[in-house]
Amino acid sequence: MSFDWIKLLGFIVTPLIASAVGFTYMGLSRKITARVQNRIGPGISQSFIDVVKLYSKKTAINHGLMQHMGPVFAITASITTLLFLPVIKDSIFFANFSFRGDLIFLIYIMVFGQLGMALGAGQTGNPNSAIGVSRGLSQMVGFKVPYVMALVAIMIHAKSTNLQEIIAVQDGFRNWMVFQMPLASLAGLLAYLGYMGYAPFDVPFAPAELASGPPSEFGGKYLALMMTSRSIFTFAKLVLFVDVFFGGASNFIELLIKTFLLYLFALFVGLVNPRFRTEQSIQFWWKWPTAIGALALLLVAWKG
Amino acid sequence: MNDIKQELLAEQTFADQIQKTFKTAGVRVIRKRRIEVVMRADLIPPYLTHAKNQHNFEHLSHISCVDWLEEGHFELVYILWSYTMEMQLIVKCRIPRHTPQFTSIQNIWEHAGTYEREIHEMYGITFAGNDNLGDFLLEDWEGPPPMRRDFDTVKYSEENFKDRMDARQDAQNVRETITKRSGEDMPDFAKPYSLR
Amino acid sequence: MNPNINDKDSRKIVDIIQSYAQKHSLWVLAYGTGCGAIEIPPTMTSRYDAERFGITGRPTPRMADVLLITGYLATKTLKRVIRSYEQMQSPKYVIGFGSCTINGGMYWDSYNTIKSLDHYLPVDVYINGCMPRPEAVISGFVKLQEMISNGTANGWEKYRDNLDLYRSQQKEVIKNWQMPDYNW
Repeated sequence: MSFDWIKLLGFIVTPLIASAVGFTYMGLSRKITARVQNRIGPGISQSFIDVVKLYSKKTAINHGLMQHMGPVFAITASITTLLFLPVIKDSIFFANFSFRGDLIFLIYIMVFGQLGMALGAGQTGNPNSAIGVSRGLSQMVGFKVPYVMALVAIMIHAKSTNLQEIIAVQDGFRNWMVFQMPLASLAGLLAYLGYMGYAPFDVPFAPAELASGPPSEFGGKYLALMMTSRSIFTFAKLVLFVDVFFGGASNFIELLIKTFLLYLFALFVGLVNPRFRTEQSIQFWWKWPTAIGALALLLVAWKG
Repeated sequence: MNDIKQELLAEQTFADQIQKTFKTAGVRVIRKRRIEVVMRADLIPPYLTHAKNQHNFEHLSHISCVDWLEEGHFELVYILWSYTMEMQLIVKCRIPRHTPQFTSIQNIWEHAGTYEREIHEMYGITFAGNDNLGDFLLEDWEGPPPMRRDFDTVKYSEENFKDRMDARQDAQNVRETITKRSGEDMPDFAKPYSLR
Repeated sequence: MNPNINDKDSRKIVDIIQSYAQKHSLWVLAYGTGCGAIEIPPTMTSRYDAERFGITGRPTPRMADVLLITGYLATKTLKRVIRSYEQMQSPKYVIGFGSCTINGGMYWDSYNTIKSLDHYLPVDVYINGCMPRPEAVISGFVKLQEMISNGTANGWEKYRDNLDLYRSQQKEVIKNWQMPDYNW
């Protein structure tokens, strides 16, 4: 296997771009939230300012080894997830590590960051963290079921487990998975709402009741690392869903438009909805999205 | 005139009923739905049981305490409410200040224990039968019970808590600054408080 | 102190970026000890919108930069406030809110309420009034931002350097000191 040196540059550039885009989206989401609540709101660059401030803080927190490792696990998982995604269609530079079967690998690796965070938050000994972790992991059990069902249906339909081939199947606007496989896409997008962690599925991070849940004992540079990881992971999730359901993107402008619209979908659903309790959200996911996903699987199996 | 009497009829009949049963009690109708009963201290637990069982005063709203320093008494005030009669009953009794001891009514109302705990902390009255009279609101309190009237809070706070500056002196500086800035003379009423 | 430290020209570019970021992103731990807590929601929500200045509420002391002490402090509460303050990550700032934190306010003769917060924690900005209105709160935050940008908001350094003095003053009030000496 030949090695393209230009790929190496891609590995370095992609996370940087991802974090920049992620922070911009977070800033925009704060601005949009403020406008919806009839406020002026902070500037779009507010997330950048916040993260620079957090990196510049002196940090002295020690709860044990896992507490130091938790944010590192999170950022590792985020960057790994991103590096196995073809960010831009048919581009060697941004294809990164994409290989045969990468979609199956992604299903596994996307959990790794949350598990690492769970270990780190558990070590801090803060009861709020423990409650947040248990809620977060139970919710993950909830939305993983329709998510995996949707992905498997799409893999069978495209007869491939490679993201680049799945993108290649969706050539042209009419061949997007949303139109080819509406049921599987619906299940996948409902699971995507859970992935983004906005309301109504934001019960693990409830700031007023749980003191922000898992990260409640993390401050300063740890929190900065977690924010960076979150921004990269947000971008990675958006790119994954755009790749699988909306036909990928052939250039950066298209990618930004598609990911931002997808981000707005989660944000607006969050802005108009109150919060589900954990068991309510699990009930929700195991009822309709799972049924839709199972139906999609049956249909695709029947059609062959 | 007749209307008022009609209005207070239920209260008056109930007051007479109490007066008949407890001859030594001083009963008074304060206004509509509010009756005051002054009792001897040793009659309080039996009377409260009676009011709860016979007249459906099932809700103890509050227990309060008043320090009558000059007369040498603590006055305990029990406030009850009846949902069926829709009437508030205020039961008062006095205990001597030099032996601040009384009987707990925790066996009649379970939550009375909390009020007794507070009164124990603030006035130093011990309630026999309540075994939970520990620290409650005050933490690491070493002084005398703070709500007693012979406890000088000003002196205590001056001795224990550092002040930034004498409050009056602080105000003076502001006054002087303002007069200097505006170029006026200090008004006569402010001169006695001046630093010079 | 060396006057050149606060001179803009002599500072490194990193310091300028840091102080800019610290100035425009103040995360507040609003410690609702007293009645002042009721002034925080209007300050944060749509009418006065403190988020314009980068001021956001944060739920835990670990994440916060500013400890906003809203109102009187009983000796019992002071213990918790000190604990929260020591868990915060420096640089950290304290804003005393309302006249209770300045000289005791209407609790000047109380047997259980401290008079001046400055003896126990290093206060950077006082907002006086009983209660201060949201405009006053925002002006206090703007004052803190000015102090951060010219380097005078160094209460946390004062606290670190004079820890023994502050500790002895705290122990005068809190008789039963059952806290660990280090709180991380």
